[in-house]
Order: sequence, then C-alpha cells, then structure tokens
Amino acid sequence: MPRHRPTRATLGWHVAYWLLCTVVFVFLLAPILVIVPLSFNAGAFFTYPLAGVSLRWYREFFTGVQWQRAVENSLIVGIGATVVATSLGTLAAFGLHRVRLPFRQAIVVILLSPMVVPVIITGVGMFYVYARIRLANTLGGLIVAHAALGIPFVFVTVGAVLSTLDDNLVRAAASLGAGPVRVFRAVVLPLILPGAVSGALFAFVTSWDDVVVALFLAGPRQHTLPRQMWSGIREFISPTLLAVATLLIVISIGLMLVVELLRRKGERLRGVMG
Amino acid sequence: MSVTDSAGTIVDAGRGRVLRVSLRRAERAQQVRALLLVLPAIVFLLVTFIVPILSMLVVAVENPELREVMPRTAAAMMGWDGTGVPSPATVATFVRELRQATADGSIGKVARRLNYSIPGFRSVLLRTGRSLPPAETSDADLLALLAGIDSHWAEPPYWLALKGAAPAVTDFYLLAAADLRRDARGTIVTAPPDQAVFVTVFARTFWVSLVVTASCLLLGYPIAHLLASLPPRRGNVLMILVLLPFWTSVLVRTTAWLVLLQREGVVNDLAVRLGITTARIELVHNRFGVYVAMVHILLPFMVLPIYSVMRRISPQHMRAAATLGARPFLAFRKVYFPQSVPGVTSGCLLVFVLALGFYVTPALVGGGSDQLISYFIALFANEIVNWGMAAALSAILLGIVLVLLATYRWLVRGELLRLG
Amino acid sequence: MTAGEDPLVRFVGVDKTFDGQTLVIEDLSLDIRSGEFLTLLGPSGSGKTTTLMMLAGFEVPTRGDIRLAGRSIRDLPPHKRNIGVVFQNYALFPHMTVGENVAFPLLARRVAKGERTRRVSQALDMVRLRGFEARRPGQLSGGQQQRVALARALIFDPKLVLMDEPLGALDKQLREHMQIEVKHIHERIGVTVVYVTHDQSEALTMSDRIAVFRQGRIEQLATPAELYEAPGNSFVARFIGESNRLVGKIVKLARDECLVEVGSETVRALPVKVEGPGGSTQLSIRPESVKLAPDPDRCPNVFEARVRELIYLGHHTRVRVSVCGHDDFVIKVGRGSEGPSLRVGQTLRIGWTVEDCRALDAP
Repeated sequence: MPRHRPTRATLGWHVAYWLLCTVVFVFLLAPILVIVPLSFNAGAFFTYPLAGVSLRWYREFFTGVQWQRAVENSLIVGIGATVVATSLGTLAAFGLHRVRLPFRQAIVVILLSPMVVPVIITGVGMFYVYARIRLANTLGGLIVAHAALGIPFVFVTVGAVLSTLDDNLVRAAASLGAGPVRVFRAVVLPLILPGAVSGALFAFVTSWDDVVVALFLAGPRQHTLPRQMWSGIREFISPTLLAVATLLIVISIGLMLVVELLRRKGERLRGVMG
Repeated sequence: MSVTDSAGTIVDAGRGRVLRVSLRRAERAQQVRALLLVLPAIVFLLVTFIVPILSMLVVAVENPELREVMPRTAAAMMGWDGTGVPSPATVATFVRELRQATADGSIGKVARRLNYSIPGFRSVLLRTGRSLPPAETSDADLLALLAGIDSHWAEPPYWLALKGAAPAVTDFYLLAAADLRRDARGTIVTAPPDQAVFVTVFARTFWVSLVVTASCLLLGYPIAHLLASLPPRRGNVLMILVLLPFWTSVLVRTTAWLVLLQREGVVNDLAVRLGITTARIELVHNRFGVYVAMVHILLPFMVLPIYSVMRRISPQHMRAAATLGARPFLAFRKVYFPQSVPGVTSGCLLVFVLALGFYVTPALVGGGSDQLISYFIALFANEIVNWGMAAALSAILLGIVLVLLATYRWLVRGELLRLG
Repeated sequence: MTAGEDPLVRFVGVDKTFDGQTLVIEDLSLDIRSGEFLTLLGPSGSGKTTTLMMLAGFEVPTRGDIRLAGRSIRDLPPHKRNIGVVFQNYALFPHMTVGENVAFPLLARRVAKGERTRRVSQALDMVRLRGFEARRPGQLSGGQQQRVALARALIFDPKLVLMDEPLGALDKQLREHMQIEVKHIHERIGVTVVYVTHDQSEALTMSDRIAVFRQGRIEQLATPAELYEAPGNSFVARFIGESNRLVGKIVKLARDECLVEVGSETVRALPVKVEGPGGSTQLSIRPESVKLAPDPDRCPNVFEARVRELIYLGHHTRVRVSVCGHDDFVIKVGRGSEGPSLRVGQTLRIGWTVEDCRALDAP
C-alpha cells in the first residue's frame, strides 16, 4: 500500500505503535544480551562496568566435577529420550495419517496429553509412582519421563509434514514398480526428513531444558544441567551460572538456526509441487 | 441402511449388503495396520505418564492409613454414629491396636494422617501409645485411662477425627484444598483462618495469570502485526528476534532476570546512575519481578498464534476498506481486528493455561506472598510429604485446565493446537 | 483388431462405493482392446477417475473383477501391475533429478546402472528432452514436467498406460500441442492408453474410442465419429460437441422416421431414443448441419427463422435465431460458405435433413 503522509491524528498512533514495538523487542532481547558480557566479568559482580575480561567462570564450569557430570547426564538423557520419543512419535504419526480410526479422537488426546498437563503435576505424578518402583533417582527414569514429554512434539511435527506429502508421489512410485519398502526409503523418507528432524530437535530441547521433572526424579548423581543450575540459583548465584547460561544461549541459537534451515529445506522440496 | 446409486435409487438389499461387507473388510485391514503403528506410543504414554498421574491424583481421595495399621478400629469407627464418645468396646479395640501399632512402629503413619485433621494430634497419639500399660487390663474404664494420659480423649473431637480417617474414600483433602472441612456433625464449614490458605492461593494464581495474559496481549499484538505486515525477508529476521527468547530455556531467562533486577543488578545500577532514584528499589522477590519475568517468558506464546492468523489476512481487505471510505482506525476495528480474533483467543488461552501451572519462575523470582499453586503442590509432595494434599491441589489445578481447554474446544469446534 | 482377439483389460460387473451408502461406480463392464487409445470422458464426479484408479490399483472394487490379459488383478498391489500412470500434477519426485526420476522404475526392477543410463537417455530422447538428466523438476516448465512424467511412465515398456487428465494444468496452446505429441507417441510405440478427461474436444482429437461416463455408468462407448454423428441419448448429445435442442411431442412414430410437434411446427426426425407416440422428446441438431435458404423440394425440414444475434469468430460466424418457438437456436456459418448475407432482425428460411435431426430422450 503506498505510504501516504499520515494525518495529525494517525501520526500519534503510528508513533505509539513503533515505540511500543521497539520497547517490546528491547524487552525480549535485553536480558539475554545483558548477561552474556557479564559472564566474562573478571570480578564476582553482576553489574557494569566490567572489572576486566576473564574466562575464570568458564574455567570453573569446564573443570567443575559436578558441572561436567551434569552435562554428561543431560546429554545421555537428552539423546536417549529423543531416540525413544522420535521412534514412537513418528510411528504414531504414520499410523494416524489419512486413516479413519474409530477412537481417533481419544488416541490423539492421549498422544497430546503431556503437552496439556501442567509440568508440575507431571513431575509430582511421575515421582509418586516411579519412587515406588525404584525408577526415581536413575537416569533410566529420567529418560523415560523426558521421552513421554517429547512424544507430542514429534507427533505433531511429523504429522504436519506428512499432511503436506503429496499422495500422488506415493502412488506414482508404486505404479512404477516400487514395493512398499522402496517407496518409503526412496520417496517418503527423504521428503519428511527435514520435518522429522525438526520434531526430534524439539523433543531434545524439551529434555535438555526441563527442570521441573528433573527436580523430582533426579538424585544428586543424576543431576542434569538445568537441575544443577537450579541448586545454584537457590543457594547462591555464582557468576559461573552466567557462564553456563551464556553457553546455553549459544546452543539455543545454534538449534534454532538448524530448525530454521530445516524448515527452509522442507519448503524448497515442497515448493516444486505448488 | 441401504445403498443407493448416483441417481439416488436404492440398490437391492442383497447386493447392498455384499457391498457394505466388502467395504468394511477393506477398511478393517487398513485400520489394523494403523492401530499397530500407534500402539507403541499409546502404551508407552499410558504406562509412563497417564497411569502415574492418575495414581497420584487418586491419592487425593484415599484414606488408607488407619485401615492399614488399625483395621478393627477403623471398622468399629465406621459403625459408631459419631455422637458423644464411642462405646467401651470400641475404645477397647482402639487401645489394643494402639498398643500393637506402637510396639511395631507403624503408628507413625496414622499419627501423621491424624495430624492433618487436628494439628497436635500426632504428639498426643504417640505419647498415649507409649504411656499405655503393657498388658491388657480387662474391664478397667479404658476411656478414663486414656483421659488420664491426655484430657483430649474425653472430648468428642479426637474421636471424630479418628472416625473421619476410617472410610476408604474421603473428601477431606479436597475440602481442605478449598479451605473447607467437616465439623463434628459432618456438615461442611469453612476452615479456621490459620489453615485457610488455598483459596487465596488459587485466587492469586488466577489473578497473576490474568495480568500476565493481558500484558502479553497488549505487548504481543502490535509485534505480531508488525511481523505479519513486513515483507518476508525483513519479517523473517525480526521473527528470529522473537524466537530467540523462545528457544532459550526458562531457567536461563529467569536467571537473567534475577541478575538484572536484584539490588546490585544492572537495572538498579542504571537507575541510580541516571539519578532516577537514590535508594535501590526492590525489583525481585516480589510481585513485580514475577510479572516481568513471566511476561517475558510467555510473550512468544502469545505472538506466534496471533502472527500465524494475521499472516492469512489478505492485505486486500484493508485496501478495499480504504476505497470504501473507511478511516484507518475504523477499518482496523471492523475489518482487521475481527479476523485476527481466532489467533488472539488461541494465544490468550495458551498463555493463561501455561501461567496457571507455572512453577520455575514464580518459585525463583517471587517472594513469600507471591507463590502460586504449583509451589504448594511441590511443597506438599517434596517437603511436607502430604500426598493427599498434593494430589488434591493437583486435581483441582488439572480440573481447571481441562475445563478451560474443553470450553475453548466447544467454542471453536476445530483444531485446538496451532503451534504457529 | 480381429474378432477373436481377447481384450487386454476387462472390467466385469464392477461396483464401487466409498462410504457404503452411495455407489460411485455401478455395474461397470468394459473391454479395452490391445493397442487402442481409449478415453474415459465425463463431467466431474461421473466415476471416470475412480475407474482409472481401480485399474491402476490405488482403489479396490467393492464388487466385481478386473482382468488384465486374462488374469484377475483385483487383489494385485499397484507395484506388481506393470502399468504406467501419468498424473495430473505430474507427481515428479521433487528431491530427485530428471534422470533419477526417469530411472526410478528401472531401479525398482534392479536394472544395472549402465543400462539404466542408456535407457534413460533413450526415453528422454523420445519426449524430446535430450540432455535434461541433471535438471531438477522445479526448474522445468509445466509442459516439460509432463513430458518427463510420460518418459518415466513408458521407460519400462508397460503394456498399458493410464493418464489422469494429464494436460489439465497446461495453457490452451501448450495443451493442444501436447495432445498431438501424446498421440504421436502412442502411434509410434503401440502401447494401450486409457486416458481420462472432462474435455470433450480433447477426447475427440485423441481417441480411438470414447466411453462417456455419467453418474457411475457408461452412457455410450463408441468411436469419436459415431459419438458425434450418432449420439445415443440426450446426455451424450449435449456432452459431445454442440447441439441445438428442440423440445416437442411425438405425433407419429414409424421405424426410421417420426413426426414431432415443436411449437406450432411439425418436424420430421430420426427416432433414436423415444418412448412412443404422445411421449416427450428432445430433438438434437448440430449447428453446422443447418442449411440456409434450402430448396424445399430437396430438404424435408424447412422453417422460417428470425436472426437474433451474430457473433463473428474468425473461421465461422455463430448465428442465433428464433425458430419453432425456440430463441436459442444456433447456426454455424463457415467463412468460405456462400449464401445470403445476414443482418440482425432479418427473417430467412433454414432447414435440415431427417438424419441430422435425432429424436432423443427428454431430460
């Protein structure tokens, strides 16, 4: 729409609009950006100006036994939970794809339930039962719990990608002589892979960032990174926490870029048929 | 149900039946295959997620302690009508089992349970158990004996509490969660003020969620509009700026706010340096900090659904409105805003439901009087270890969330989740 | 085709329903001859695409059987049928190159790599896309994509090729060009083609035979000429080509001629699908068979008409007249034809033969 010079009345609205948007963007980003430089503070304070630039807090993180164990635990649990969630979620998405099942609604409700129930209730409920069957305070218990939390994400993402898959491609492949296995391997899988990997990443992030369930199910030896941070915040905020936070922010940016790239790739593949 | 051809004439019954049978058989094979694919995920979720939560919620109405440890007393209590004090026979049963339970140590569970009903009952019970004469003395006035150990036994309340702990199913916890209890006669009355906290907490949770939702809407709507109306490339860049906080974990963002808002933090520093204040302002461990941090974390959840709906509003509509003579504000009010409403309701519902169940941020950033319902659920489960109360509060919270979602579903009658 | 030769494909009493309530295909029996170009023609929803899908194996008949070269293929999965299919949206695999797309059926049949490459270049040559192996479908135009789809469907030498409105997405000029190309390929290779379209002029151009579908049944199965010259009922007459419709009542009925009262006139018509004297009928007359200023001694049907509208279309002029009480009667006057010059409002005599006037069922 061609830009007309705004009248006196609308000028006020325009200014307010742009001002508000700027304020909100600053609000969204400021906290994250502000603490990154602070993590390099040579002194043990949380204010500017910096007392000097130093990597001491990062050194404390990388040499701290508890921190390193926490990273290890987070990785083990994260990868384990992602594998389980992705397998189960993908199977379920395929199962429900373009089929009229009698109890479809109920099935979808069950598959989405971990997203709907407040995490605190999930944590408390799992703790109640897992403790009784000795699954609490084990990495296995955490993997199982996080997998359950991740399934809905995989199911929704893969389901969405499947619904954009052109049915005729599958039919064409079959008509050309490809059996079901070859059709899946050569046609379906390459086209849904970007979406499926996105879903897996969502599941990983859910596990990687979870603190509530870990609060209940992780004993001292199973502390994940967020759980370890939680202890740190509750007791005394050491600047090491800021170093950890900065590292996590960098990882988040990385994951976000990967997901965005995958989305573009998926769109490129699909754009052909538009 | 008969089969018709395209012209509408009904096909003969025999042929119709054959057709339907054949059709159903073909569908059945498809459905079996689909079920097999879905089954692993369903079974997994049932076992690891649904059953544990339901088992925990059931505890809200369970009353197992007395029945397990002192079964005959429980049975006798069920038979007693609750007037005055129980019969000598019942008291005798009680004393006998009390002695037994004290000896083998199982009295602790019962004592804790009874303490929920009447604070202080626990120490009285334990003391009574230890002070009982070792052997059974027949036809002594056991009631008097008990009253001698502690005067409470002469009065009805303790006996009524015992009676309350007797049935398998109880509404004790649920009532307590609503700041109610049953009095001596069994009618529902409000609990004494020192025990009545939960309604306040629920109200606070609601209020905080409401304020956060409204703030997110006010801040998020213009952002969503901006993102939706920009050309794709610039819009994408700005979208990344909105998504970055979204991808950063809640814990990291909460930590960031703690660092920013604390007394020695950046914001206070800035305020002092710019001369806005001389003393340092309390910005965390109070309601303000909770609002700021929660809005920051939940804002992307408001922006994304609204944005995805706005993207589908064709710019032609506003142009058409202009050609028809509408001033910009009128056009916005009548043409643009109504079309964005589905996104607004999705966003508000999402943010509200998330805020209701929020734990991490209020727990870290809030003060004592800012704790939301989630905090108390964790408290009862982890520290106080009163599973009945934890379960009751969880059940109520979950119930509220489900009702909200069901209402939304009923209003919209469509796809519930739009992950944008 | 000699009389004793068995058909390549035979549909035997096929019924199809999707919801158990309405029949989408009703009691379909159809023979497809080897080497012919058969078109399934009809409006949308008439069942022609469903029939094709059943032949391809993507849908299963609810009742009845389908036989290919004598063998029942009703329960044979699509990947074992060895039938080539060309889809309306081409269905080219977007993540593969053109070469990989065309090689795919050979890959599925485990043909060695060297031979694959050779046959792929042969196939692309046939559709005049030599050297396109490395391109991606997204880089091609609609017409080029369609030719790749064709090459892919033909490379494994199927006996039967199915085409589901393959030219629907192309613009008019390209479509007409592709029609001719497809026809040439058919003639050169000799493969049997079953072609689905809703465009009757496309069907007339390309087919050896046309099956006209309506509401799940075949109304008429015949050559294009037969369908055009001798439509069996009013639906076919309306669907194929253009025809004028005069509604009237049968006064007298003989074996090869009937008298029909239309308005205040009496018309001599050829009885094709009529009930009996006193019954209603619809007369079908092709616009180009109407003669202007005919000789009454030679022409059996001569009536007075009044010119309402003249539309100039280059190679012919459409003249809309009022005649026999109908205002929408159209005459096509060819560019080269001699005859009286026409003006709106003018009255003139028009006429047609008995054979060109077919009495069909009233709607």
